[in-house]
Amino acid sequence: MSYIDPSMEGMLDTFLFETGALLDQLDEILLACEKTKSISTEHINEIFRIMHTTKGSAAMMGLESMSALAHTVEDIFFILREDPARMQSVNEELFDLVFQASDYLRGEIDGLQSDDYQPADTKEMLQKLEALAAAMKGGESPAAAAAPVQAPPPAASEGVRMIRVFFEDGCQMENIRAFMLLNQLKDVCEELDSEPQNPESDPNCAPGIVKNGFIIKFKPAGSLEDVHRVIESALNVKSYEEISALPPSQPFTAPTAALQEYTVRVFFEDGCQMENIRAFMLLNQLKDVCEELESDPQNPEADSSLCKQIIDNGFIIKFKCAGSPDDIYRLIENAINVKSYEKLDKPAGPAATQSTQAAGQTGAGGGAGAAPKAAKQSLISVNQSKLDHLMDLVGEIVTAESMVSANPDLRGMKLENFSKSTRELRKLTDELQDVVMSMRMVPISGVFQKMQRIVRDMCKKLGKEAELVTNGGDTEVDKTINDSINDPFMHMVRNSVDHGIEMPEDRVRAGKPRAGKVTLSAQNAGSEIIITIADDGAGLDRDKILAKAKKNGMLTKSEKDYTDKEIYGMIMLPGFSTNENVTEFSGRGVGMDVVRKNLESVGGTVTVESKQGEGSVFTIKIPLTLAIVDGMGLMVGEQLYILPISSIRQSFKVSDSAQVIHDTDGSEMILLRGQCYPVIRLHKAFDAPGAVSDLNEGILVLTETDRGTACLFADELIGEQQVVVKPFPPYLAKYGIKERGLSGCSIMGDGTISLIIDCVNLIGGLEGR
Amino acid sequence: MNEYKKSSLEGRYLTFYVDGELYGLELSHVIEIVSTQPTAHLPHVPAYMRGVINLRGRIVPVLDVRLKLKKPAKADDEKTCFIIVAYNDFRVGVIVDEVAEVCSVADHQLSEPPLQQLSDEKYLQSIADLGDRVVRNLDCERFFAADLYADGIRPASQEEG
Repeated sequence: MSYIDPSMEGMLDTFLFETGALLDQLDEILLACEKTKSISTEHINEIFRIMHTTKGSAAMMGLESMSALAHTVEDIFFILREDPARMQSVNEELFDLVFQASDYLRGEIDGLQSDDYQPADTKEMLQKLEALAAAMKGGESPAAAAAPVQAPPPAASEGVRMIRVFFEDGCQMENIRAFMLLNQLKDVCEELDSEPQNPESDPNCAPGIVKNGFIIKFKPAGSLEDVHRVIESALNVKSYEEISALPPSQPFTAPTAALQEYTVRVFFEDGCQMENIRAFMLLNQLKDVCEELESDPQNPEADSSLCKQIIDNGFIIKFKCAGSPDDIYRLIENAINVKSYEKLDKPAGPAATQSTQAAGQTGAGGGAGAAPKAAKQSLISVNQSKLDHLMDLVGEIVTAESMVSANPDLRGMKLENFSKSTRELRKLTDELQDVVMSMRMVPISGVFQKMQRIVRDMCKKLGKEAELVTNGGDTEVDKTINDSINDPFMHMVRNSVDHGIEMPEDRVRAGKPRAGKVTLSAQNAGSEIIITIADDGAGLDRDKILAKAKKNGMLTKSEKDYTDKEIYGMIMLPGFSTNENVTEFSGRGVGMDVVRKNLESVGGTVTVESKQGEGSVFTIKIPLTLAIVDGMGLMVGEQLYILPISSIRQSFKVSDSAQVIHDTDGSEMILLRGQCYPVIRLHKAFDAPGAVSDLNEGILVLTETDRGTACLFADELIGEQQVVVKPFPPYLAKYGIKERGLSGCSIMGDGTISLIIDCVNLIGGLEGR
Repeated sequence: MNEYKKSSLEGRYLTFYVDGELYGLELSHVIEIVSTQPTAHLPHVPAYMRGVINLRGRIVPVLDVRLKLKKPAKADDEKTCFIIVAYNDFRVGVIVDEVAEVCSVADHQLSEPPLQQLSDEKYLQSIADLGDRVVRNLDCERFFAADLYADGIRPASQEEG
């Protein structure tokens, strides 16, 4: 992560997490807005807030390109916020561009996680966004045109702009640097002015520049971007921000105009804690932009008992400022944890009416959003590795508990009190285990939500119409599973839209509604979660699949002998893709094969059903938790193996040697109730030394999986037990132990290691060989 | 603290015997030394990979240095030790006949092995001449390379039928 300043690396995780969450939120809002073809003030504010936060945190991390992009988007929504009437003219383009911007930001976030991160080129995107912003400003809507001259919407003016520049900490001689910057800007700006003026002549103004930044007022001669570029590339510039664009008619000396007094009452979010400190922080923020700042209570930071007063009566801020107080209101609104604010006395004038309206909206938004926001406050985000660690610890406690309660030293002793205590301990560890498991559960709606976006993008590109319907989004799955099904899901939804849903005209011809429908649903079924992806498209073409399979030489029996299930299953075999034309989205011939592999890596399975002309249904089954397995202990030689109980059908001894049939290649089969099953000798499969080799002496376990049924041969059954699955050390990854039928290991009560059998791979592997 | 630790570990080697020969490992890689442990045997791994052990709840693979160096196998005895090594992000145990001592080696006592031909089975990092004895210092990178990286440049985790 060489790109990030080392001192900020600690913040990177938080930054990535928070920005990712914000972008998810952004997508959600955009999709909702696009669907209704309108964008409410509340949504505009929300997007504005998201972009504002992203901009700030990206700048903090030193990611200038991200920050600049977020800033431009923020600008657009600022314009919209000032005058929503402008929305009409730019609807479609706006959504597309903002989606692109959001994709870019997301791409950067992904990029940041790799070591050789380099910021992507944003120039094109910035230009497009700026062009859009300019178009919006240019297309003066009637409302803006009618606005009084004294207080036109600030961003609507094309005139003088103000930029506040901060220099790097400790770079020294800030006044000279400021002067040099001014000099550089001369070429690209007209009417250049600054605050303080003539910085080079007065070294005493350096501390002021450090504290308040160096304010440049200018009229861009060319594009605003040129100016930004000059500032960006100037030496020692740490950051810069556009503070507000002054209306062209306003003289530069405006700041010294008569000060007006304003009073604001601020309420913080419910349950945000330490309201007095938050109030103090807010005051601090305001210090730079207000004059004669006063508050009630005064010095909130000094006394934490003031919290209650602040909660009950709000925190009252009195400030004086010249010109419009809108900037200050904006600052208050965007401050952390501010729920709402109201103005107590309103100075006369059009500016005030406008801002009262804004306040009303914010108030309403705050009121409506108060409940969910309060709910949010009771959540904390925890690093997943900590949860993993906790999970490991619980696993060890479970093991340690059985180590103590079933300690061999206690065998044959009568310990009434001891058993009572261990029972109690057992109860607690069980409960602990449940709680920790539930902590790792996340609703699957997050994954579903992302699919909305994919369906939208694909429909636009392919000229199709489709609607995504989701059911059971509140079904919870383990976080690890949630993460690992994201990609397979994306693939399958893409497949459904790309291959499944027909073009609108074809649909109409077939007597179906124009818009296709993709349904995602999730439900809990015992220890499994079942997710289906259904579309009402063309369905799988049986003959096409067969022909393709034949062409690829995948068929092993006569074409007529294949059942529908077998045929549909073929699309999930490696190297199979029915779509002749590889599209941008799917059909690279790896699709479903990868999906199946990914799902199997979390213990899941996927099956297909389809009816030609009516659509297809993909059903995914995933075990709810991976970490703890109910298993049957099997002894093979000196090694204990655990076979998951869910796949065991029965166990039996071979009573009659005639039951065992040898194939011509010597492989063994066993005849059971008229059915023939292959025998897998575990000692051979896992080359375990010292095992029983006579089938009559050991025991056979009939094991069923989706990929076949087989009899596993072991020395003896040990008994049922719950084990905590631990993955094999990554050191051994090269040897493909997993592919050979062992999914992991587990530490038993006595400290020995047992190996957990992965029936699917063990039996599936047999098939392939 | 870290600096102190670093300087106190630098130039120090844990030496051990394998088939009568003295080898060394940089002390900074060594986590601990444990006595022999019951090992879970794994299928489909090279013979020198004895299996995995339970190191206080952690699953650690162990490999037999004798077999890795193509020496004859020998049953564990009371002197046999597992040296737990931390290298990069992983931990791995190496099985040695006997742990000798920790010794400090000055730079002038070290000499590099001649690089006549590169071979996958050359694991020595340096040779320390301590007057009365010669220690061969193992290079962790090379010693564990065969397990970490697939043969040639093939990426890891390949499945074979």
